[in-house]
Amino acid sequence: MEHSQIIRISDPTLRDGNHAVGHQLSAEHIAAYCKAADAAGVSIVEVGHGNGLGASSLQLGESKTPDHIALATARENLGKSKLGIHVIPGFATIERDLKPALALGVDVVRVASHCSEADICERHIDFSRSQGIEVWGCLMMSHMISPTLLLEQARKMESYGAEGVVFMDSSGHFIPEDVRLRVETLVNGLGIAVGFHAHNNLGLAIANSIAAAAAGATLLDGCARGFGAGAGNAQLEVLVAVLERLGYSSGVNLYKMLDAADLAAKNLIKEIPSITSVSVVSGMAGVFSGFIKPVARIAKEFNVDPRDVFFELGRRKIVAGQEDIILEVAKELAERATKGNL
Amino acid sequence: MKLECQERTRHDCLRILDGRDTALEPLRQSELVVVGGTGFVGTWIAEMVAALNDGYQFGIRLSLLSRSTDQFSNRLPHLANRADINLIKADVRQLGQFPMNADWVIHAAANPDVRTHASNPLDTASVIVEGTMSVMRTAERLGRLKKLLYLSSGLVCGVQPASEKGLAENAQGAHAPDASFIYPNAKRFAETICSAARAQSRIPVLVARPFSFIGPYQSLDTPWAQTTFLSDALRGHQIRVLGDGQVVRSYLYGSDAAYWFLRILTAGPSGDVVNVGSPVGITLQDLAKEVAINFESSPEIMFNTAPRSAGRSAQLLPDTTHAENEYGLSVFTPLEEAIKLTVQWHRMMQSNQARI
Repeated sequence: MEHSQIIRISDPTLRDGNHAVGHQLSAEHIAAYCKAADAAGVSIVEVGHGNGLGASSLQLGESKTPDHIALATARENLGKSKLGIHVIPGFATIERDLKPALALGVDVVRVASHCSEADICERHIDFSRSQGIEVWGCLMMSHMISPTLLLEQARKMESYGAEGVVFMDSSGHFIPEDVRLRVETLVNGLGIAVGFHAHNNLGLAIANSIAAAAAGATLLDGCARGFGAGAGNAQLEVLVAVLERLGYSSGVNLYKMLDAADLAAKNLIKEIPSITSVSVVSGMAGVFSGFIKPVARIAKEFNVDPRDVFFELGRRKIVAGQEDIILEVAKELAERATKGNL
Repeated sequence: MKLECQERTRHDCLRILDGRDTALEPLRQSELVVVGGTGFVGTWIAEMVAALNDGYQFGIRLSLLSRSTDQFSNRLPHLANRADINLIKADVRQLGQFPMNADWVIHAAANPDVRTHASNPLDTASVIVEGTMSVMRTAERLGRLKKLLYLSSGLVCGVQPASEKGLAENAQGAHAPDASFIYPNAKRFAETICSAARAQSRIPVLVARPFSFIGPYQSLDTPWAQTTFLSDALRGHQIRVLGDGQVVRSYLYGSDAAYWFLRILTAGPSGDVVNVGSPVGITLQDLAKEVAINFESSPEIMFNTAPRSAGRSAQLLPDTTHAENEYGLSVFTPLEEAIKLTVQWHRMMQSNQARI
């Protein structure tokens, strides 16, 4: 099968993967993986705290490696690959975080918001663009709004100066048809590139990514061994292989990508992401994959079923950054159970 | 503003007026009001009026109404402090203070920034629709009014068919209720308000439809292709082109546009609709190259890989046959010259700021 379509690969192993290890990736981890990904020809290597630049905090988890060290280390070890950062306005401010990051040599800024809140990205996109930096908009938890509303939000990012928009299946909720509908809507309604970021809660990360490419997406995210929040992301070395099998051109050398993934498995990843019962429920409930670890911990503490916690979080439409609600929900479920036993 | 920048814009106006001043004779000894007068168009009209008064003793009294008069005063004291220019701070939707002796009115109040349209669509519509209603209600009370020119937008004409060289004034944009079309939709409705005011209150109103402009006073902060390319190059960055660079646009220089508006205002019959812009198209790829050749560093030109979607117009050019035949208007400043002049002006402004 032959495609003329070029798929650009963005690799957030060192950012989304940080979710999976409580943001404990070290400078040594970053240096080693950057070298390997660069050798493989990955287009963009994203680095930082799981929630992006400036997000290291007590509530979200403190980074082992501060942003400035992580970025300087990555910069030093990336040649052809571009250095990317994930920026959520609010966690990252322009003065405190973005300006120093750009000074350290960041090439690509991906400014992210909840799928219905693109407005908050205006200043960060505008600033990055004014600095001559490649800037993308990211719409997280994109399953929570319809394709039409997703396009409205993406158009805002386009108007602010984004060169492309990535929509993120942050909870691994989509099936390929969902992805196809959204990509087609975005491609037809925007004048800029469309990208897709998958999670694997329902085992569909690769299938969804391929559906995105087939519908016209030109950028796909993937992590080595799927190293990312919850059930993990699209497994990058698999994605590269499948793209190659389908005749897409990703510019990534398969053998070297497999080497990079082996290195990640050996050095970075304590526990290869897998689809646990809880991550299936997380995907079904449409709750952010990054909640899996805190939900498991808090559910155990309150002696409640984490699956019930997830469905209740989904019912309340809780999003990343509202981690404190997990405690509230677990406590309520525990109280309800106690009353029921009386 | 630095003297050499003022001299440059004055020279731009005098260059256009040379041999063409008589076409603006109706403006002599009259009172002109520009609502929304401190933006790109208003500033260039103020420059042109100043040149007419200083160079040709026209004796025009100009009032600029805007919410941003303070910024205008700070930025452009050489215009703000002139005895023949009067700044009035006002919201177009509440025109309590209006020069009641106005002979001519240009209604240019609207924010063309796509970022504002995206983030504040309701406010965008309010300024355009309620503002136009407010201007028409005020115009009903102007005893000396000769003509009112409403500045609409070339975007009301919709998508340009591939078979057409340009969009004529009778082109109709398709109905699109989506919020992202708030600006052209509001402009269309404002044109309808103008028509209604003419029918009901006999207000002598005509419509100009501006396309794209280039020149001094255009903020490099705006996310349009020409301003972004200039901003990238002036900052020493690569010029980043969104898409494949094959989209075609055209650009009319600021002083040309000011002359066009004054000519249409004074010569046009009530009810006329006139495109204002350059009919000479250029791909964004070539525009980026034209910008780059003005810099010794020859900034690299980068293209985004996004494929252009089928629904997007590949070109948006005005058909200016009507302006040429009925008003004797044409492009006075070729695009290459316009880009060169704009780059020079911004460089002068930058060196001025560096000294400050």
